[in-house]
Amino acid sequence: MFIRLESTSAVPIYRQIVDQIGYQIANGTLRAGDRLPSVRELARRLPVNQNTVLKAYVLLEEDGLINRKQGDGTFVADAPPAAKKADRHKQVSGILGQAAAQAVHFEISRPELHQLLDEEIEKLTNGGRSP
Amino acid sequence: MSNSNADIRIEGLRKSFGGRDVLRDVNLEVPAGSIFGFLGLNGAGKTTLIRILLGLLQPDAGRCLMAGIDPLTQPIEARRRIGYMAENQVMYGWMRVNELIEWVALFYPAWDATLAEDLLQRMRLDPSQKVGALSKGQTSRLALLLALSHRPKLVILDDPTLGLDPIARRDLLRDMIGHLQDQGITVFFSSHLLYEIEPICDRVAILHEGRILRCAPVDELRENIKRLVFQSSQYIDTSKLPGLLDIQSYDGQLAVTVEDVDATRRALGPIHPLREVDLNLDEIFEAYVTGRREAPHAG
Repeated sequence: MFIRLESTSAVPIYRQIVDQIGYQIANGTLRAGDRLPSVRELARRLPVNQNTVLKAYVLLEEDGLINRKQGDGTFVADAPPAAKKADRHKQVSGILGQAAAQAVHFEISRPELHQLLDEEIEKLTNGGRSP
Repeated sequence: MSNSNADIRIEGLRKSFGGRDVLRDVNLEVPAGSIFGFLGLNGAGKTTLIRILLGLLQPDAGRCLMAGIDPLTQPIEARRRIGYMAENQVMYGWMRVNELIEWVALFYPAWDATLAEDLLQRMRLDPSQKVGALSKGQTSRLALLLALSHRPKLVILDDPTLGLDPIARRDLLRDMIGHLQDQGITVFFSSHLLYEIEPICDRVAILHEGRILRCAPVDELRENIKRLVFQSSQYIDTSKLPGLLDIQSYDGQLAVTVEDVDATRRALGPIHPLREVDLNLDEIFEAYVTGRREAPHAG
């Protein structure tokens, strides 16, 4: 599993770890049943505080993305959970809220804003291997 | 907030040199087993505080307890519980690595030769090499070995990565995480490199002009301290904003950095900022240390 931390980013480190593992699970780089490095191992590799890795793993487990089995290791969960959809909506709507505020400020019309969003999604689905 | 489980406890510490106040009423608690980042610009008073913690310097007022021991009254007991590593530590260049290790071991009854041997291998050091011929990275790893092999309860690292190249720095941090956190050793890590402190530390304290401006878990700083951007036309009364750290004004916009974003939201009521910006630790530090608290001239 490859994780690259952006040291000057405003995104907290545990969040960067959560996001990158989540992304790798979503795009199939990590598959159900794959073993993740232990907290100690990943902490040493990055290198970051063990509590930071632990916090990331706990959040991923709460989201149902991984299972931590005592004494056995940490594994990618079998099925991605459906129940957490509300949480995901909340996270995206937070960012969209900021985008909407900016759009209103710059007097961008609704159809224009929708088109911009469509274009961004297009870039992601066509770009494929973007980092 | 008193924590009986603190490995470093600093109460009301003051120190001045020739009429210049270097430390003014410093209070700190470092929880046992935590990695504690101690941030400050060069000249903020970091090294003075560390010298007091080691019992090398007497404070004008206040006291500190290191793993329950006052280093002023029981310096030897304190040193047995403390590992210390600084940038540019004095090393005897003419000794070989194993000779230096054996020599330092003489000062510590609790020296663990097996641990020293183990660290020597894990830190990829050659025992027969002359100390003077080691690279900076190897020298710092040797200093860490020497600071750890008497199995201290807590370790003080004074800007340990100063002068190291990025690879050597990363190796050293890796060794710290591997050896110190695994064993639950309390770490007091002073640095002026914030991006280096952040990933490693549980908590940070910001020291500026002899005072602790803030002491909190890293994530808490990140969550609470935000920059809010307004239109200048929104006429924000900045004097009414709680915990204001910095005000900037440019191009018809007003950017304020606040200590507690929730309190600020409440104070603002129905007024919404254009944007809320997350900050990295460098920006947070800068807001505390060089922030402008007064509203810029109208215009």
